[in-house]
Amino acid sequence: MSVGALDASTDIHVRGLRKLYRQKGSGAAVVAIARLDFSIRRGEIVAIVGKTGCGKSTFFNILIGLEPPSDGRIEIGGLTPYGDFDRFRGHIGIIFQQDRLLPWRTLLDNVTLGLEIVGLDPAEQRARAERWLSRLGLDGFLRAFPNELSGGMRQRAALARAFAVNPEIMLADEAFGHLDEVTARQIRGQFFDMVRDEGKTAILVTHQLEEAIDTADRLLVFGKPATVLADLRLNAWSPADLPGLRARIQTTIQNNEPDPELGRPQEISR
Amino acid sequence: MTEAVARQSEAVEAVDVAHAGRWPKETIVSLVAFCVLWQLASMVLPPFVAPSWARIGKSLADIATRPEFIAVTVGRVAIALVISFVIGMVVAMAMYRWDLVERYVMPLIKLLMAVPVLCWILFAVLWFKFREVRIAFILIVVCAPIFVIDVLDGMRGVSKDLRDMVRALRPTAGQFFWKLVLPGTVPAILTSWKVNLSLSIRVVTMAELVGATSGIGYALMQANETFSVADVFAWTVVLVLILMAAQVVVTWVERRLLVWRE
Repeated sequence: MSVGALDASTDIHVRGLRKLYRQKGSGAAVVAIARLDFSIRRGEIVAIVGKTGCGKSTFFNILIGLEPPSDGRIEIGGLTPYGDFDRFRGHIGIIFQQDRLLPWRTLLDNVTLGLEIVGLDPAEQRARAERWLSRLGLDGFLRAFPNELSGGMRQRAALARAFAVNPEIMLADEAFGHLDEVTARQIRGQFFDMVRDEGKTAILVTHQLEEAIDTADRLLVFGKPATVLADLRLNAWSPADLPGLRARIQTTIQNNEPDPELGRPQEISR
Repeated sequence: MTEAVARQSEAVEAVDVAHAGRWPKETIVSLVAFCVLWQLASMVLPPFVAPSWARIGKSLADIATRPEFIAVTVGRVAIALVISFVIGMVVAMAMYRWDLVERYVMPLIKLLMAVPVLCWILFAVLWFKFREVRIAFILIVVCAPIFVIDVLDGMRGVSKDLRDMVRALRPTAGQFFWKLVLPGTVPAILTSWKVNLSLSIRVVTMAELVGATSGIGYALMQANETFSVADVFAWTVVLVLILMAAQVVVTWVERRLLVWRE
């Protein structure tokens, strides 16, 4: 059961979203997000791909409410992650590129962090943290500190921290790219198994096209600066067509031109 | 690779944090060498320049009959450091929380730090009637600004990655401070304690030179007035030993609190 609940559905609506930065030295405006309009339905698993520096991470930061947009809005269940910041407590789980475990806390205490913040009973915090660490194969390392563990183990603990709160929406920002391929594949598999088992909405931001095609139901291709060049449902493509699709997406990203035949941005009414 | 094998291989990578304690061999060797050289120097130099260890030992035995002087000085330092730390934490937290406080208070902190200790001693004599108040004032005005600067730096030094991670969990301001900022500042706090311990031992003896009727500084002044160089050396040895003992305590606390770093 989730901790609290948003008032309406947890569909995500992105409307006319723009983000500009001012360069500290010259004061010149830099466009990070040109314009984004799309919607994500509850339970969808969506991957966002694009060139390095195309604004994926900026979008991610706006989505989790750490930054405000310059224009437009993101709405989740009628609320905005930045404006209604506290209302999303316990509703969004995040896995960052690095594990970001608190070095002074044991694995168990790192996993209880989110549960402490939502105010769960201490006995329940511990039970839930132990359950998730066990599910991720870390039951022998509850009292270990992060610096005693490998990168893969730490990232699994970060997964446990995110899932333990039982959020409706799970976000992953280049979460597996820094691990070796075998470990990344294994942890990515665990992540998507858990997302599907728990029926969560998941958004995976990645620069690895293979990872996106292998794991997501839907693919958003971002141009640079961020705008949707293509929006496609991967289950509409047969495995035989995937090599051709991969090449076409790469060309779309390279040319930085929309490819409507791949798929137009999908919006759903609220 | 099966999951079990992968897990096993990762477990092998897990670092063994067991660390055996050992004698500080190099420290002992260098201290013994210094003592030997000092003894040799005492054989060729007059006693008022380099008294022998026998003379210094006699003075140390005499000091051992007056432990209250040591207790008084240690007590003054301990109380003043605790007060300085509390002031330092409160001011640093206020400056961390409100930029306006930092903009107005930081120039004053820098001003306090620029004033030489000797000037504070003179001010204390001019401003305060009671000896203990004078000594406490001098210690606090010297140590508290250092706690403020170090603690504030420590709070600001908590990594942006960790800040963003915790913020994304949507803590209250209090949770953010107690669960992230304060534990992340512990290394800086301990470093500041080490710096201030050393500083306060040196400052308290200077403060006790003026107007005190007890404590190590007073004893040093008496030894100086009676030209008892061996006593001066003996008290110096006591001061160094006090400082070393204090550092051992802080290091022990550090090991307990920062076990995750080893």
